[in-house]
Amino acid sequence: MMDLIGVPPALLFGQLLVGLINGSFYAMMSLGVAIIFGMLRIGNFVHGAQYMLGAFGAWYLLRLPELFPGLGLPSIGYWWALVIVPLVVAVIGGLMERIFIRRVYDLDHAYGLLLTVGLAMAIEGAFNVYYGAAGQMYGVPDSLKGGINLGFMFLPIYRAWVIVAAIVVCFGTWYTVERTKLGSYLRAATENPDLVRAFGINVPRLLMLTYAFGVGLAGFAGVMAAPIYQVSPQMGQGIIITIFAVVVIGGMGSIFGAIVSGLMLGVIEGLTKVFYPQASATVIFVIMALVLVFRPAGLFGKETTSHSVADVSSGRAGSLLENGRLWFAVFAAGGIALPFLIYPIMGMKILVLALFALAYNLIFGYVGLLAFGHAAFYGTSAYVTAHAAAAWGLPTELCILMGVCAATAVGALFGWLAIRRQGLYFAMITLALAQIIYFYAVQAPWTHGEDGIQSVPRGTLFGVIDLSNTFNMYYVTLAVFLAGFALVYRIIHSPFGQTLKSIRENEPRAISLGYSTDRFKLIAFTLSAMLSGVAGAMKAIIFQLASLADVFFMTSADVLLMTLIGGVGTLLGPVVGAAVLVSLQRELATFGAWVVVIQGVIFVLCVLFLRKGIVGTLEEFLANRAERKAQTGAGQSETVTKTEVAQ
Amino acid sequence: MTESNKQVVLDIADLHAWYGESKALHGMNFDIREGELVTLLGRNGAGKTTALRCIMGLVRKKTGAISYKGENLTQKAPEIVARRGIAYCPEERGIFSSLSVAENLELPPVIAPGGMSVDEILDLFPNLKARWSSPGTKLSGGEQQMLAIGRILRTGAKLLIFDEPTEGLAPVIVKQIAVVLEKLKARGFTILLVEQNFRFASKLADRHFVVDHGKIVERLSRDELAGNEAKIQAYLGV
Repeated sequence: MMDLIGVPPALLFGQLLVGLINGSFYAMMSLGVAIIFGMLRIGNFVHGAQYMLGAFGAWYLLRLPELFPGLGLPSIGYWWALVIVPLVVAVIGGLMERIFIRRVYDLDHAYGLLLTVGLAMAIEGAFNVYYGAAGQMYGVPDSLKGGINLGFMFLPIYRAWVIVAAIVVCFGTWYTVERTKLGSYLRAATENPDLVRAFGINVPRLLMLTYAFGVGLAGFAGVMAAPIYQVSPQMGQGIIITIFAVVVIGGMGSIFGAIVSGLMLGVIEGLTKVFYPQASATVIFVIMALVLVFRPAGLFGKETTSHSVADVSSGRAGSLLENGRLWFAVFAAGGIALPFLIYPIMGMKILVLALFALAYNLIFGYVGLLAFGHAAFYGTSAYVTAHAAAAWGLPTELCILMGVCAATAVGALFGWLAIRRQGLYFAMITLALAQIIYFYAVQAPWTHGEDGIQSVPRGTLFGVIDLSNTFNMYYVTLAVFLAGFALVYRIIHSPFGQTLKSIRENEPRAISLGYSTDRFKLIAFTLSAMLSGVAGAMKAIIFQLASLADVFFMTSADVLLMTLIGGVGTLLGPVVGAAVLVSLQRELATFGAWVVVIQGVIFVLCVLFLRKGIVGTLEEFLANRAERKAQTGAGQSETVTKTEVAQ
Repeated sequence: MTESNKQVVLDIADLHAWYGESKALHGMNFDIREGELVTLLGRNGAGKTTALRCIMGLVRKKTGAISYKGENLTQKAPEIVARRGIAYCPEERGIFSSLSVAENLELPPVIAPGGMSVDEILDLFPNLKARWSSPGTKLSGGEQQMLAIGRILRTGAKLLIFDEPTEGLAPVIVKQIAVVLEKLKARGFTILLVEQNFRFASKLADRHFVVDHGKIVERLSRDELAGNEAKIQAYLGV
């Protein structure tokens, strides 16, 4: 057979078909995400889990007799599942909106994303407990079995059906939103929900139905996916980050953009598999980076007015809790005593993660940018440090330096790309960029894939301090942590730090005062990446391991959770958060796979009830007390003056 | 007086409202009778728009009583208020940029019979006909205001609320709007108008309420205007 452009046609068309199939799913999923984002301003991270629910729903229906043997239920096949499951998943979505998502509409976008991340962790974690990593099989329905020989390739009927159905559903949705009365309500409510309500339209219900519809689409995609991909708890986890990238490429809020980009990127991904297979996992993220450089609003997006950054900080200037010198002394003293109270290894874990969270807080707490890809910097540094130590045998301090430099470079590049957008976009972009590092680490030979780099020698620091001694290692870690703490404190109290806070509070005003805010944001982002790199390098040396977990998005979620639990934008929050999370993970270790579920629930509870975090809540309490004191004090002095006057 | 025989449709009693910590209304009282055109006059920040937003249910933190045709609407959601027959034309006009002129005009759902037909509305505002399928915010300021007014006439609402419809518009358009408001009044609509432009309002309204510091400080009927112009100007002047 003739080769086309040096590639056998069967392979080329085969991959094109695979690309179109994947693209169909991307289109259906990103359509839902785009609609939900457009209407509700929620970055629906739980969309992947809802897609998984759809696939499991179809599988459950098929296995009804086995699941409930006593009830004599029939096995419900594919076609009924295609009707029932999306409806059920939509109802679940509606309930989620009612119970959780509705509560964060009036808050910053960051909370919506955090809430849905928590929900995704809880749902996917729960399925993982029951079904593990293994996939369940779901056969192709009889009526769609077989295929057609097109001469140049064999086309399985089911795959053709998926593509046709996806296109019909997508364009049907597009037509509904853009061309019908209902669609005009939706578009108007996106622009000015209050006014639409004042016209007599029940916008809260409209929002719930929109969310349910978007989720139903995910459920529909899940049923469609069941016969093609394996039905597994993880199936939604990978795809959601890709979907976010697709939505960014298409242009946030552009429904047409989401559909077209979804299909197109699936095909591009398929073609990449033919011509340059190594890049097929990352090509979408690379395209996203290019689009951001040349068309920041996305291919089909309209240039939106720049959203200001998020101010979710709960620190209070001049408070006891923000006194860096005092707490430096407290941490130094406490840190010295700590290894006599708990295992030094656990102490080191707390210190490293606290440093990581301090670094993260610099960008999220003090600049107000919701970064969601800090695992990239932490993990890059861990890998480079581990490789330099294990493969090249370089001195430890040089390894750490190399790791930190690598993280800083990656941070500067990602920051340069990401600061073009704000708010939720920033989170989605950093998340997607971090995936490039993740997939690189999966594939590159020197990172050793699933094994990671193991048995990293700790070496001797400056040729004198033997780090294989746990206590030496601990005190070096403590010294690094304290230096990091002092540096962060110094940064946020410098004129540079004050400028960052002014950007957080009112970016347009900072710009009008003559600050090039983008430059400040970039510097802060790079500094944050650098410090994350320090934490990652220390982690690699302490635990003598760099693994995929370090670059996985859960690490980004963890550092965010630590900062949130502790108190965003407070000096102590990250440290408290790290201590709490590490202790919690240790306590929960006995629950095995449930840990992820519990962590997800904590995420949700934090977003709903503890937005100020532990330190922020304490701060509020102290502030209220101080105010009360000031008031009673003022009242007393007033009476005193009056009595004096009377006399 | 024939006016006072008419039934009170909207009654505002002791209305207090807050935006977060700051208080915007301090016990406002006024009423509107059926078929009347009344104005709320007052300078910027006096509380006029807040009063309208309270009536529409768009300000949540409030106390007092808002009753429409005997029903207490004080804590009702905006969509309920609208469904009772009150239509609102906001100060910033609220034309939707992602909707065409036609879609903007047909957006508010019909809540009762007796509204004007699209043709009748286009007779009132012939300019809109030519711009029928262009995006709403491509219109000029005057055209947007016409669209914003026209939009709420279709729904069958009997009480129309206009927030500064003349703001920032050319005198010739202000005149056109005055003509339209007179026609609407003649058609039997009850109209609540917020204005800073006293000259515009004085010719149209049956009664005037002067708002200052979140309450009504002066109530004047059309006949009482003559002697009190200086007083009103003092309230409206900056």
